[in-house]
Amino acid sequence: MSIFERNPALRWAVPAVTAVALVGGGSAIGELPASAGDGLQARTAAQLLVDVQQASLDGLSGTVVQKSDLGLPDLPIAGASGGTGSSDLTSLVSGTHTMRIWFAGPDKARMALLGTLGESDVIRNGQDVWVWASKDKTATHYVLPTHDAADKSATSPDLSAFPTPTALPTSPQDAAEKALAAITPSTDVTTSGTATVAGRPAYELVLKPKEATSLVAQVRVAIDGTEHVPLRVQVFAKSVADPVFEVAFSAVDFSRPDAAQFAFNPPPGTTVVEGKAIAGPGATDPALHAPQPGSAGMPTVIGKGWGTVLVAKVPVPDASAATSGSTSATTDKTIAQLMKFVTLLPTVSGSWGSGHLMAGTVFSALLTDDGRIVVGAVTPEGLYAALAAS
Amino acid sequence: MSAAELATSPAARPLRHVSTRFLRSELRLIFGRRRNQAGLGILAVVPLILAITVKVSTPRPGHGPDFLASITSNGLFVALASLSIELALFLPLAVGAIAGDSIAGEANIGTLRYLLAVPVHRTRLLAVKFAAITIFSLVATLWVSLVGVAAGLALFGGGDMTMLSGGQIGMGPAVLRVVMATVYLGLGFASLGAIGLFISTLTEQPIGATIAVVILNVMSFILDSIPQLSWLHEWLPTHWWMSFGDFFRDPVAWDGLTRGLLTAAGYALVFWLAAWARFSDKDVTG
Repeated sequence: MSIFERNPALRWAVPAVTAVALVGGGSAIGELPASAGDGLQARTAAQLLVDVQQASLDGLSGTVVQKSDLGLPDLPIAGASGGTGSSDLTSLVSGTHTMRIWFAGPDKARMALLGTLGESDVIRNGQDVWVWASKDKTATHYVLPTHDAADKSATSPDLSAFPTPTALPTSPQDAAEKALAAITPSTDVTTSGTATVAGRPAYELVLKPKEATSLVAQVRVAIDGTEHVPLRVQVFAKSVADPVFEVAFSAVDFSRPDAAQFAFNPPPGTTVVEGKAIAGPGATDPALHAPQPGSAGMPTVIGKGWGTVLVAKVPVPDASAATSGSTSATTDKTIAQLMKFVTLLPTVSGSWGSGHLMAGTVFSALLTDDGRIVVGAVTPEGLYAALAAS
Repeated sequence: MSAAELATSPAARPLRHVSTRFLRSELRLIFGRRRNQAGLGILAVVPLILAITVKVSTPRPGHGPDFLASITSNGLFVALASLSIELALFLPLAVGAIAGDSIAGEANIGTLRYLLAVPVHRTRLLAVKFAAITIFSLVATLWVSLVGVAAGLALFGGGDMTMLSGGQIGMGPAVLRVVMATVYLGLGFASLGAIGLFISTLTEQPIGATIAVVILNVMSFILDSIPQLSWLHEWLPTHWWMSFGDFFRDPVAWDGLTRGLLTAAGYALVFWLAAWARFSDKDVTG
């Protein structure tokens, strides 16, 4: 104490040093130096891919944080507020989200999207799939056809088996499979040493598109050093330094979760909806699917690899109202909102015609005046070229 | 948090008896004041209003705060809905008023001089002050919960509680989780109280310190809602408060709660030390 009595100003050093130490120590947690992965032997990209394919996962549980910054304006879709901290499943397209994942074999999986004072759960237990939303206390029940389950068991079973509101992958496994499926001669595949994800040493696989029009600079997949399970997937765009999309475990445990974790009984007071047999997207809430072109015919695929572009017809509001019956009012309103939103987008034109362009960080979308929608992870020029070719 | 430990830190051991008496007299002052009793009364109004309005007009699921629509299924949710409403302003204001008053109030009415004339080290004075703030914070939060639980059980009854994850737990574990969530929030407010204690050493106007605490609290909530500052969010004193809902997941999601407690402890420690740095050689003229 005497030093402080001689020099009172020194007292201020105590809270200052404490604050710096706490902030420094807090930041260091979770950002352990990459040298933590030094114990891993070097592996080639091909070896890693095989590791991933052969990984037999008995079970796991963990917390997954998904961040996306797709450069999208907030879409005026009813319910899709898109905010951080929302437990609405449609909100996954933007912001930061925390999910808890439990997995115990292909037919037992659960994903819980944690919102502020809310939670949405997707639970698969055998042939039963439950979708629970605490916000409106609804539980939707789907029964998977048996043969379908067998088909799906080879791939990620937790989310691909029912209509997801967004096409974004929600678990690292799912995301890695989507990314790896895109590996064709169009991609440079390399490894870049090791990384530490969720405190575990991991290999990093780097995929670089060769396609000039691609907006994706690289996709980095971190693969667990011992379990060979993807722990993190990052998508980097050419225009921004930080990942535009990232899904990563912040904590992971490879022990098999308790079977009770996958049991779901709708609590009293819940609105239980029996979902239709799962045939494809479009079976659930029409508000989620209204802007999608599914009902107006299958989209055309132009190009391949990273340059793939989808061309589809947009449903016009009248047609949609006629087909969707009682919910047409909401659907109409949503489409009207979307149309209003679309007109705010910059107008572009070329030899293919004219339309409105939405340029995100990692993909572009174009709505032509003749009612076609063109989407791809390519530059706007790539879209124009695809339109000209179609 | 460290408040209780600070109050009975090793340095205080020879004077242990004096120490608890000091704390008790401090608590008597806080809880004996008419204005503080009135404040606690106002805090109790929110759960009562919630319980009665929900009884009169049942909210539709999907509208309003998450816990609000659940009240009809279990009265315990009155406490949770009240906490989620009061944590934005009312409870921080109550704790801020006590913390702002702690030093500046004594300086303002001229009693700080006499307090310092007592052979009590200033460090220990600050420790006792913060211990009292922490106890008040816990009591005020538990009071809101208690009124909420009482009103809820009276109007809606108890029974199994449906958690956010959709599972159900029995009444006993449910009450335990409500208590844990309440204590968690109380500790969070106490960390704001440490900031208030520090500000209180800077001024002789208690109302100024209280207003400063409330402004900081509101500022923290505003910053927390700006997506461009997402790197800052996890460091904000109020950011983890809403995590009290994590007690009602199956299983309890401890990640956010642990971070919340660490953040609260960090703020409490740094600002208590800042108060100490400021107060130890402060000229008391009031």
